[in-house]
Amino acid sequence: MGDAALIAGNAAAAYAERMKRIMDAVELRQPDRVPTVFYTMFWHARYGGMTCRDAMYDYDRVGEVVRRIVLEFQPDTYALPHPMTVFGAIMERMGYRQMQWPGHGTDVNVSFQYLDREYMKAEEYEDYLFDPTGFYLAKYLPRIAAEFDGLGRLQNLPGQYYIGLILGMRHYAHPQVTRALTAMREAGEEARRMLSHAAAFGKEMADLGFPQAQGAAANAPFDYFGDNFRGSKGIMLDMYRRKDQLIAAMDKAGVFILRQALAAGAHNPSKFVFIPIHWAFDGFMSLAQFKVFFWPSFRTLLIGLIDGGLIPMVLWEGDCTSRLEVIADIPRGKAVYWFERTDLARAKEVLGSVVCLRGNVPASMMTTGTPEQVDACCRGLIETVGRGGGFILDGGIGIPDEAKTENVRAMFEAARRYGPS
Amino acid sequence: MATSEGTTAYNERMKRIMDAVELRQPDRVPVAFFSMFWLARYGGISCREAMYSYDRLAEIARRAFLELQPDMYAHPHLLTAVGPVMEKMGYKQLDWPGHGTAENVSYQYVDREYMKAEEYDDYLLDPTGFYLHTYLPRVGEAFQGLEQLPMFPGLYYMRLVVASRQFASPGVQRAFAALKETGDEAMRLAEHATRFAADMAELGFPLSNGATAPAPFDFFADYFRGSRGIMLDMYRRKDKLLAAIDRATVFLTRQTIATCKASTSRIVFIPLHWAFDGFMSLDQFKLFFWPSLRKLMLDLIEAGLIPMPFWEGDCTSRLETIADIPRGKAIYWIERADMVRAKEILGDVVCLRGNVPASMLTTGTPDQVDAFSRRLIEKVGKGGGLILDCGIGIPDESKPENVRAMFAATRKYSP
Repeated sequence: MGDAALIAGNAAAAYAERMKRIMDAVELRQPDRVPTVFYTMFWHARYGGMTCRDAMYDYDRVGEVVRRIVLEFQPDTYALPHPMTVFGAIMERMGYRQMQWPGHGTDVNVSFQYLDREYMKAEEYEDYLFDPTGFYLAKYLPRIAAEFDGLGRLQNLPGQYYIGLILGMRHYAHPQVTRALTAMREAGEEARRMLSHAAAFGKEMADLGFPQAQGAAANAPFDYFGDNFRGSKGIMLDMYRRKDQLIAAMDKAGVFILRQALAAGAHNPSKFVFIPIHWAFDGFMSLAQFKVFFWPSFRTLLIGLIDGGLIPMVLWEGDCTSRLEVIADIPRGKAVYWFERTDLARAKEVLGSVVCLRGNVPASMMTTGTPEQVDACCRGLIETVGRGGGFILDGGIGIPDEAKTENVRAMFEAARRYGPS
Repeated sequence: MATSEGTTAYNERMKRIMDAVELRQPDRVPVAFFSMFWLARYGGISCREAMYSYDRLAEIARRAFLELQPDMYAHPHLLTAVGPVMEKMGYKQLDWPGHGTAENVSYQYVDREYMKAEEYDDYLLDPTGFYLHTYLPRVGEAFQGLEQLPMFPGLYYMRLVVASRQFASPGVQRAFAALKETGDEAMRLAEHATRFAADMAELGFPLSNGATAPAPFDFFADYFRGSRGIMLDMYRRKDKLLAAIDRATVFLTRQTIATCKASTSRIVFIPLHWAFDGFMSLDQFKLFFWPSLRKLMLDLIEAGLIPMPFWEGDCTSRLETIADIPRGKAIYWIERADMVRAKEILGDVVCLRGNVPASMLTTGTPDQVDAFSRRLIEKVGKGGGLILDCGIGIPDESKPENVRAMFAATRKYSP
């Protein structure tokens, strides 16, 4: 056997070994050791000595730096960086308005920032419910991206038919529509460039033995409206003033979110669906509200993904301790719950026989603590939460943008050093 | 000078029509010009030319209107000159001269199933999504590829940004290019149409149809399910059909109001295909057909428009039911029902239009047309509320002398 074949053979074996380690954890069996995952928004910029802006624009450099990181720290799985951060050029071409990013509203050396605003008015729930795609074309897309403005002229398509449809074709020659369709094409071409870099990088890493941590992404129907449509003020009012409309809209959106995630997951080498959860934490809504507004449509989504052969990877941001009993109601060994701040030992007691846990070295410790502190924290997690399987070690929100490299190293090393007690 | 004469004539004609619509006695019974392809015969061109040559059609129509002096006219370009646009669009719901029919016959609607029975749910979940991904690619080749567009309502934030890759997929690109090209041709047609209408207005002739709308039942029967499908749906999926009709009514109303408001005419032409006595029972008419049509009409009236349903076939059994609309706000154009009987039942409510038989205009004599028109004017025109016309407008093969006789009768006789 030649060297190349030997390396390839070893890589294939390493890939299979890592996948087994992860799947053992997911399916609540004891793996040979606790698996780790590399996930970050911008820490690789710091590690690689580039700006956050570079990390959002430079497909090649991002690939090269993350490759170096993965080879150094040897995680069991990693989140593909390109679709998570390297979309600056695409956003620029569409005039995207829901975010500030380095060079577009934030400093070149800080993370992008979501803009919490009202992108759908309260009285427009009816429009969404009545004709969701029509609402997107006529109202939503022109609001969230400057270059899509002309799409507003393509409204009311379902009112067109026969000769009226033929005569109405003139709208497709309107300069504003032409401009929007051109922007769509060019943004699409940029997205294709980005995704081809991503695919090549994913392939290269797989050839080196590293599986991807997530393929498709989804979000909870409540967050879908809270983040992307109504803004934080709007959604809070809606819970009191238009409960039925909000619930009906979430049920409807759930259908589309599920279909989209299933379609994306079907074409992805990773079966994990990343679902960051923004508004579920204890401090935002009561448990009674969580049970009415958040959990039912979200559980339907989780079950739909699981039935579709995918593995939901839910990031429960904030402290969700009071939710643990409620969210235990899912099929056994089919998902990952990643907790940011919830005490994992407590989570293990409630959820240990149901779902694999992920986390949760504190972001503050990774950023300002010492390697010894990180080591002790990881050891505690591995020995208690790792017992019997069902645990993946990570930071509470992955690797924070400003984490010290020695702390990151300490975390990955701990997984190799300690075993469940 | 010419302009001011034109303005006077225009205003006189508008008053004559509005007197008829609002059930006052006009100075004489107004007469309307509506035809699909008779202008081709009149001007000595083929039906194909009438569908393709914007200029020839305009020139012939101008000549015909100056000769016949109608009180209002349906725009010939918007009814027939759609050949070049349909060709660019690869339109599939019509056969037309040179595309499935002979050079010298009318275009023909192709009755097929354009939406499957099980797709009512998709339509109801997301009507525009169903249009983009499913319906439009089925009815026009220019739309093919749009099915590769993403499902928009599942997209948000970075999912949306990244999913823009689908905007650059080959199918979508092909569709965008074809839509632009089709749009350019449709723009040319619209420019010709606008110029013609302005020209006619200057000569004193008002436009009769500012927009066209369907009855919501016909919308699904004609353009989605086909005749066989819709008949089965009335029995097998009544609730879904009714829910879809309700949903479609909202879109159709919006579209009609927007189109009509952009036009110089407030009259909305509503050809009715499946309302006639021979197709469904009166009970079925009251359940499936009338409520949504009535709602459409009331909303158009509310918006200041004048619905003009064209009751094709014999709708005698419907007359009592369809009397339930506000007084003096609409026009009922009756193809075959006896107008004297219709006047008895509807005379206090709605202006009637019609209905010299198509057979008489095609095969009869000027004397017969004159006598028939006279009877209509004298009996149905009494007290106002009549617009004289043929049962289906001027049939394609009418003898010009018969057409002349009909138009002349309004100037010769009075109620």
